[in-house]
Amino acid sequence: MSATPNGTPANGNGAAGGYKWHNKYPHLGTGPVPADVFTSQEQFELERERIFKKVWLNVGRVERIPNPGDYFVQDLAVCNTSVIVVRGKDGAVHAFHNMCSHRGNKIAWDQGGTCQNFTCKFHGWSYGLDGKLKFVPDEESFFDLKKETLGLTRVAVGVWEGFIFINVDPNPTETLQEYLGDLATGLEGYPFGEFSTTSTSWTSEVNANWKVIKDAFQEVYHIAFLHKRSIPDSFTSKDNPYAHSLDVTLYPRHGSMSLFGSADYKPSPVAKLAAQHGEIVIRSDFSADGLPAGVNPLRSEAWSLDLNVIFPAFFVDVSQGSYFTHQFMPIGVDKTLWTSTQYYTKATTPGRRFSQEYGNVIFRDIIMEDGRTFEETQSMLSSGAKKEFYLHDEEILVRHSHHVIDQMLTGQPVDRAFAANGKEAASHA
Amino acid sequence: MAESDWPAAFSTLQPFLGWALATEAERTHKRQTSEMADIQAFYVAMLSHLEDVLVYLNQFPLERLPSHAQQLMDMTLSLAEIAPAVELFGQPREDDTFDPFRFVPQHH
Repeated sequence: MSATPNGTPANGNGAAGGYKWHNKYPHLGTGPVPADVFTSQEQFELERERIFKKVWLNVGRVERIPNPGDYFVQDLAVCNTSVIVVRGKDGAVHAFHNMCSHRGNKIAWDQGGTCQNFTCKFHGWSYGLDGKLKFVPDEESFFDLKKETLGLTRVAVGVWEGFIFINVDPNPTETLQEYLGDLATGLEGYPFGEFSTTSTSWTSEVNANWKVIKDAFQEVYHIAFLHKRSIPDSFTSKDNPYAHSLDVTLYPRHGSMSLFGSADYKPSPVAKLAAQHGEIVIRSDFSADGLPAGVNPLRSEAWSLDLNVIFPAFFVDVSQGSYFTHQFMPIGVDKTLWTSTQYYTKATTPGRRFSQEYGNVIFRDIIMEDGRTFEETQSMLSSGAKKEFYLHDEEILVRHSHHVIDQMLTGQPVDRAFAANGKEAASHA
Repeated sequence: MAESDWPAAFSTLQPFLGWALATEAERTHKRQTSEMADIQAFYVAMLSHLEDVLVYLNQFPLERLPSHAQQLMDMTLSLAEIAPAVELFGQPREDDTFDPFRFVPQHH
């Protein structure tokens, strides 16, 4: 696809005749999505067992635990566990179920910190940063205790570009690298480390199914309506009024969407000064120069940012100068911990600090508009009044996501089904 | 703050010292609980000096701002906080948005 001189995607979707993304990925079909997948307790239990307990889940970044002994605790209600993620004396990141081998008490009751040992508050059993059981008080009164077999239970952990992932499957069927696949390859070399020296993060426990939240962030169709006050002219233009995306790439489970950036964007007075003093989220003249091939893959001049949706519930959305992530941790069928984080290069000057604060505020205010839909949607889904929903061509990541979930819950091999139907099959061989 | 430390060029900003708030949670609270007229007055006063304020602040290292400069810095952060209210929404909080007090900053 080429861009017209003013940067509008040349081949519109329905308006110009034809269904661009459906034509690229016809195997996903055009049918509706069933409504009960957002409210069914049975569905949620299957998602827990067949998805969340089987795949790699992002739990944070390495900057959070820079030194040996630094740790944080990630509660994973959806996996029925809590995990300690720690930087070991060997410099590597380790993860353990947060559970004492003696009688099962939770070892770390806080959210993180720095320590030399993990000591259980119940009876004082103490474990090293490598998870090995080091000390048992009054050990002589135990019977045949084999300390070497009683360490903390390991959780598989992997690090990609500074992102820490865990997998609670005792025997993961694929490595993190295999799981991330070609999506990761395309992003490698993006300055994630440099941009992660400052992060600002917001979190909220939302009364909505995790897929309601995920789906809201993986399509552009809503932009012209839900965000009409906050970003009226950033992602839409006279020639692209519905914010049609520049490009879509689907992987067996993950998906990417490259977003249009409008030259019509007129910065407000404060936005203008913020841009002069540093980087902010929204600009109309972003460039992908020097960024890896997976970023702005079409090298469009009318580019704003790319959505990278890592299955099941983690987004790495990259732009020029900064990136942001969304993480959705299910707590129950209609309860989810929503966390969004914006990343920047550390500000050393007051001007840049101001600029970043403006970027934070505008980002936060925009995603709070998305946030309003979550509970409003969930509250009506539970009525059962609608049995199915109809998706737009620009909602193809939503369609893909539901397709993948359905395949995993029904035990179909995701990769094979994709390869049999998708045009991208060769790259996954 | 010693009265004499405050740069004379920014004397018109002194009445707005109530906006010199150190954390996002405090700034959000102030925005969400203020009258639009007060937000508007702060916006107009700050914006008219913003360029000069940033040039002035940039002569100091961010991590070691003198106390009066830290107050000015925090006021620019409050300007960032209220800018969307003035420039985009015309009210402290949009009608159609998630509850700002439930979207909790994990940073300061």
